[in-house]
Amino acid sequence: MIDVLSYGLIVSGIIFWFWGTLPLLGERSVLFKLHSLSVSDTLGSMSIVVGLLLKIPSEWPLLVLALISLAIWNTVLGYVLAYCSSTGGDDV
Amino acid sequence: MIGYLDLVLRLVIWFLLTADFRPANIIIGVCVALVLPRNRTLTAALKDWLHVLWEILVAIPQAYFEAVEIMLRPHAKEDIVMEHVKPNRTPGLIFLDIFLITFTPKTIVLKYHENGLYEVHRVRRRQQAKQGKRAKVKRINS
Repeated sequence: MIDVLSYGLIVSGIIFWFWGTLPLLGERSVLFKLHSLSVSDTLGSMSIVVGLLLKIPSEWPLLVLALISLAIWNTVLGYVLAYCSSTGGDDV
Repeated sequence: MIGYLDLVLRLVIWFLLTADFRPANIIIGVCVALVLPRNRTLTAALKDWLHVLWEILVAIPQAYFEAVEIMLRPHAKEDIVMEHVKPNRTPGLIFLDIFLITFTPKTIVLKYHENGLYEVHRVRRRQQAKQGKRAKVKRINS
């Protein structure tokens, strides 16, 4: 049961990864690509790590730390990239 | 009183990193947490922190819901809205607010304006924007 759940999470994470990464080659704006990257990189990777957490619970401290770091770094880097992509104005 | 949340955060990271609850490690962790330089300028009310942390917990399922939504249905429209910052926010809370908005796939904070506005970029399915607390809506790509 746990195996099914963890493989389900890992597979859904991989689907998120591919869905979010393929639009990088498309025609949409940079910001839309950032939105789809936050689906793939943040949520996809988090779901893969939670899947791993169910599979190897003995490693929970490292995996929880990985989860927290993924959430914070991906999100904040998304913000930084969005900030850099907008044109400079008097608030910069 | 100063920065007790800072201290807790550092200890949590320390124990997650080391995964070791022997007394020596606990003493080292507490020392490191106390010795690292701290920001003594502003401390926010505990209530505000708990509120934001709770909102982050709620945002996780919401983010997955939005991710599935954005995957299944085309989100062709994009626009930029300005959102007001809640009054009396310390820098730490503003950071968490920006984190919270950017964490969900449909919205990204572009810029934080010093006069109390977040510039938020979002993707939508349809043309009309939900007004509510948004101050003004300016369409960039329709």
